[in-house]
Amino acid sequence: MKHAHVKEAAEALFNEQRNPFGAFSLGSETHHAVTIPDAVRRCRWIAVDINASAFGLFFVSPSPELARLVPCFDSDYPGTAAATRVISGANGEEMVRHTRTSTAPRWWADDGTPGSEQIFQNLAWSERMAPLAPGTNGIGFPVHADRGHCGVVVFLGMEIALPEDALYEIHARCFSLFAAVARIRPSDAGRTRSISKRELECLKLTANGNTSEEIARLLKLSVHTANQYLTQSTQKLNAVNRNQAVAKALRLGLIE
Amino acid sequence: MSSPAAQLQSDTLGSRLASRGDLTSFFMQLAAEIGADSYMLVAIVHDQDRNDARIVSSNWIFDAIELIGKRLIANLAQGPLTAAPGIRPTALVAAQAPDAGGLLTGEEAHLLDVLGHAEIYSLRLNIGRRRLFALFSAAEAGKIDQPALMKAQLKCCYALSNIPQLIAAAAMQDPLSDRERECLLWVSEGKTTDEVALILGVSSNTVNSYITHAIQKFAASNRAMAIATAIRSGII
Repeated sequence: MKHAHVKEAAEALFNEQRNPFGAFSLGSETHHAVTIPDAVRRCRWIAVDINASAFGLFFVSPSPELARLVPCFDSDYPGTAAATRVISGANGEEMVRHTRTSTAPRWWADDGTPGSEQIFQNLAWSERMAPLAPGTNGIGFPVHADRGHCGVVVFLGMEIALPEDALYEIHARCFSLFAAVARIRPSDAGRTRSISKRELECLKLTANGNTSEEIARLLKLSVHTANQYLTQSTQKLNAVNRNQAVAKALRLGLIE
Repeated sequence: MSSPAAQLQSDTLGSRLASRGDLTSFFMQLAAEIGADSYMLVAIVHDQDRNDARIVSSNWIFDAIELIGKRLIANLAQGPLTAAPGIRPTALVAAQAPDAGGLLTGEEAHLLDVLGHAEIYSLRLNIGRRRLFALFSAAEAGKIDQPALMKAQLKCCYALSNIPQLIAAAAMQDPLSDRERECLLWVSEGKTTDEVALILGVSSNTVNSYITHAIQKFAASNRAMAIATAIRSGII
């Protein structure tokens, strides 16, 4: 793919809508409803700006047991790129562990040419990692959003150009993109709706250390009803007991 | 606004953090670069139903912290004007605060103004799953450079990512031993004492004692509360 050509085309199309500090004026924009195609388009702008040939957005599962990157979309949207399948496999484990504890970008260079590392080596704050997809060069930006959502925006390409002073702006744009995507992620919306207010109230009191008897007294319910609410919410969260239900509700951001 | 030489300095300071003192010099330099007079790095601790601020590092004068109070600082840090990375931040201007959002009473706003916090920006910092808040303030409204502030926000995220233990210790968020943390993690995944014992290859009495210690360290009343406390502070 001719990068210069793509860049020109994109600039011709979108110039009116984006300024050099595009993401830095997103304050209100991110509150608008966004669709996945919108998000893909925004991600493509970022990719064009750093001369990347491919990109992908991945979620990091909230469960500590599952160390996998869960794909949301990539540059072949609505299809799936071959690289995405590799990244969402065992290769992503290191990135998942990194993203849970750090926000610093990670890059890799594995295209076999000696010069490719130089692009990244001068970048402040970011370090090298094992290649997410073998035979490629790329960089992954850890991103976080409200309600405990956590993910990575990945850019691939042989000719990525990322000047040091652009790093912050690119990462900031990844953050605001992810915040928009996390808000519309359909799987969670369905789950949140099905748990009633009363059930969440009981879960929250459980998280604060109250027993069923105390919850019953606080909410003026019978102990039996309080227990029933807790059992129902445990089932809805697909948890095996109350402890796991509390943990899941907190990790999903259903309770604070 | 900031010169290239000054930028280099906060980058260098930020990449070599090793102590609380380094943290202070990094934030002082960063504040100077963006035109802010004061900074405060805050961790929010959930205590039952209310939030409390735990100040990790700050150059606010002692009186300001005492007079304003931890509760109000917690509210400022995670108030409606708090900006996540990538979102253009909005300043809380003390002089206009009583009618804007009702975050402060007139008296509190006046106090902030007098104490040299005429405008305050609150930024959310993501350090992996852990969340901290940075307050940057200036004695005159409009003094802080917004684009520089947004870069500074990511710089803080990067710099603090290098020192997770220091941050956890400073915020007193992680009193657990490795084994206690591991047990609590498995319990939060719905495992019973016997299952955890099997996974870790120790006796169930040992597992119970680890968990009891964890509950005591958090001053929690039961397992569910200990798990909740650990997740809220980002330990598991």
